[in-house]
Order: sequence, then C-alpha cells, then structure tokens
Amino acid sequence: MRLELHRARVKGIRWGSATALAGDGVLQVNRDELLALIREDGRFAGVDADLASPGDRVRIVPVKDVVEPRCKIEGDGEVFPGMIGDVETVGQGKTFVLDGAAVVTCGKIVGFQEGIIDMSGVGAEYTPYSVTFNLVLIFRPVDGIEIYEYEQACRLAGLKAALYLARSAHESGAAADRVETFELPSVPELLSAYPKLPRVAYLYQLQTQGLLHDTYVYGLDAKRLIATIIHPNETMDGAIVSGNCVSSCDKNSTFTHQNNPVISALYARHGVDLNFVGVIISNENVTLIDKRRSSAYAVKLARILGIEGLVISEEGFGNPDADLIMNCHRAEIAGIRTVLITDEYAGRDGASQSLADATKEADAVVSCGNANMIVELPKMDRVIGYTDYVDVIAGGFSGSLRADGSIEVELQAITGATCELGFTRMGAKTL
Amino acid sequence: MVKEIERYGLPIVHICTIVPISLTVGANRIVPAIAIPHPLGDPTKTPEEEYAMRRAIVEKALSALQTPITEQTVF
Repeated sequence: MRLELHRARVKGIRWGSATALAGDGVLQVNRDELLALIREDGRFAGVDADLASPGDRVRIVPVKDVVEPRCKIEGDGEVFPGMIGDVETVGQGKTFVLDGAAVVTCGKIVGFQEGIIDMSGVGAEYTPYSVTFNLVLIFRPVDGIEIYEYEQACRLAGLKAALYLARSAHESGAAADRVETFELPSVPELLSAYPKLPRVAYLYQLQTQGLLHDTYVYGLDAKRLIATIIHPNETMDGAIVSGNCVSSCDKNSTFTHQNNPVISALYARHGVDLNFVGVIISNENVTLIDKRRSSAYAVKLARILGIEGLVISEEGFGNPDADLIMNCHRAEIAGIRTVLITDEYAGRDGASQSLADATKEADAVVSCGNANMIVELPKMDRVIGYTDYVDVIAGGFSGSLRADGSIEVELQAITGATCELGFTRMGAKTL
Repeated sequence: MVKEIERYGLPIVHICTIVPISLTVGANRIVPAIAIPHPLGDPTKTPEEEYAMRRAIVEKALSALQTPITEQTVF
C-alpha cells in the first residue's frame, strides 16, 4: 500500500471572500460558507467560528477535538472513512494536507468540559496546538438533545470543516511544497525484503470507555472491535477518529491519529535497523473480561505475524494502565520484547507511584510527562469558548480560575500536554 | 485507602473491577466487580436482576471478610 502526502505549508489564517490558500501561504476562509455547511446539522442551536494564531494572547477552552485539514486527491475513498467518507479502504493514492492548519472544536458538550489551548505564554509550551493556525468552531446544542447525539454532531462538524478547508484550498489551486511517500507492502514481501532485521510491530491502544472517552475506526465504535490489524497509511487518512477529550493531556486527538509519531518513526527506521511489519489496534474497555480478551487477541496477532519486538502506546491513565501492563506481560511471556509509551500521574511532587499497575517485564518504558504537575496560566486578552467550568474539569480544582483571569491547573487540563504517542512540543535527548 | 485502613488492624475487602490493579497495589481480599462505570450493577439488566447481582457481590464480600487468608486472595 502506497500513499503520498502532498503537504502545502500554511503560514497564516484570515477571513476572506473565498476559501483558498493564498499565494503568501495564508489560508483564507469564507466564514459564511463554512458556517452554512456546519449549520446544516439541525442538532446545533448555534455555531460560531473564530481564528487563533501562534503568539496570539488567546485561550481556547473547553476544547473537544483537533483535526488536521486533509482531503483525498487520488485513490479510493475519502478521508475520515465511515464518518463522513464511505467505508472504502483508504491509505492509498494521494492525500492533500494543509500543513500547519488545524480545526479546533470547542463548546459545552456535557455539564463540564476539559481541554485548554493557550496560543502564547507558559501554556503554549505544553500544547502542540499552539503552533498551528487554528480555525475554532464553537457549538451550542438545541434544547433537550440527547448528549450522545450532540457529541456525534460536534465530532462530525470538526471533520467536515477539516475536509472543507482542504478540499476548497486544493480546488483553488494550492500546490504542495513537499511530498512524503509512505509505502509498506504485504507481509510476505516485507519478510523476504529484510530477513535479517528484527520484525517489529506497533500495538496501538485506543481508549473506549463511553461518552467523551471513545474512539472510532472506519466509523465503528472501537469498544466493539476485537484487536485487529490496520495499515499505517490508513491512519494518515483519518481511519481512526477521536471522540475523546476527558483529561485531555493524554487523549489522542484526531490530529494525533493523523500524525502518529510512533508510526512515522517506525517508517523512518524500516529497512534500516528494523523491519516494520505492521500496526495492531486494540481497545481499552471497562470490564476485566474485555481487557483480557483484547490483550490475548492482540498478542496472538503479533505471534501469528512472527513479531519479535512490540512498541505499545497507551491512551489515558488509571484503568488503561492495566491494559498496557497486561499487553506487556503477555507479549514478554510469549517471547516478544516490548517498549511501553505512557505518561505518569505521580502526584504534584512527582513522588507517588506513576501507574496504577505494574509488572516486572515492563523494563523499557518511555514517559511523556507527569500530568499532575501544576502550571500557572496567565490571563489572556481573549477567551474563545467558556471558562465557567475550569474549577471542575479534570486537573482543575476549587480556586483554579482566579478573579484576574489567570488559571492554576494540573497539566492534565491542557490539550495534548502529555500525549502518549509522543506528539508533544517538549522532549528529552540523551547526549 | 484499602492498605491504610488495614494497617490499623481492620480487615478490608476490595470490591474492584480491574483485579490486576488491586493485586498490584496490594489489596489482600479482592472481590471482582462488574464494570468500571457500574461496579455493582448493570444498566442492561432489569432492576430485579441488578438487585440480585448486587446482593451476590456484597454477600461474597462479607464472606471474604470472615475468611482467614495467608496471601492475596481473589474470591
């Protein structure tokens, strides 16, 4: 399967008469046309749109999802299959990307809501979405709507807007300044191509625990999946979509599923020092029997593929730690070496036990940060969305929102701050 | 919580859905629960069925509390 990502660099964002990528690299958006498209969904009483650029003294809260604008320009299907595209297999042909732009969805979903993106100041250092040019959609539901219905309406609206931006920009003649090619053939071809390199796969855990804790694969609620294989290119075309934003520091936005750094790193080393054999997706359900079934099935798939090394990423914390540790233990017992990617809830001083579960086989673990760490976010000149709930969101506490507009919160309230795919602005290197 | 109370000499039964976590954190008497969002019930069942499930778990927990153990035990 071969996919080309045609990336057109976005250097700014502004309202304009037609949605297009201007010659100076500024994404111009026809606000009325965009809003008319989103308001077609009768589940909204109101939809508003706003813009936020890197360096602006702007806070976006409460953030639901972040989506990268992409559209298919060659090959089967459309981006976000099973959501707004058909369920035809994606991941082949050519996909156009507005590189540097993002759609951020925001607004009251349930009683209270997570997710802060600051476009400047200390908070901006912690979220990867402070360096993108953001088109923000702010939703208000019709009265009496059932909350699952409303969540779906918000989720689809973000995807529709992302497709609209990419499609309009591409049709306006925007050209890519960079083309990346991703190609991974069938398993027999892979095995014969690099017989001496270690066979490595990626076990990609998806959070699946109910409203605002869900993930979708080709439109299917992933809690109903049994562990299965997905081609890494499919993820780049939006085959995995987020419905997930509670404790938003370590929830994978749709943007991170489209740009998974674990997948790009495995691609970069494929044929160099490892043989990237494939990606297995599994879920993180709420009963023990579901967790055991997923784990047994995922590790069995790895064994069928003859995998020798497995990179496992977690999504979320607490009970998903049990999924992570179970996957590690089972794989290691089966003779497959593992590396785990997680974050920590080690208390504000970092001294408490980091994960809820442990096993002695977990001897290679990458941490993406301590979500309990306190940060003080300065007052911003402008808030897009609502700060009413900052005291009660996960990571917030009584007194979090101060009278002067500044906020003291744990990192867990900041969108993507400890993303367990490593999609963060901060990192460490061994020198 | 389980460990701290037990440290003062009161035996504890941990009713818990994700038993491996309970084992890792060191609970001694563990009774499996139904699911994380509804440990002692199941919204897909009738209220009568839920009552029976709840009663069975609580009775198992009371019996576990009275059972002498020498190591971590899942009832």
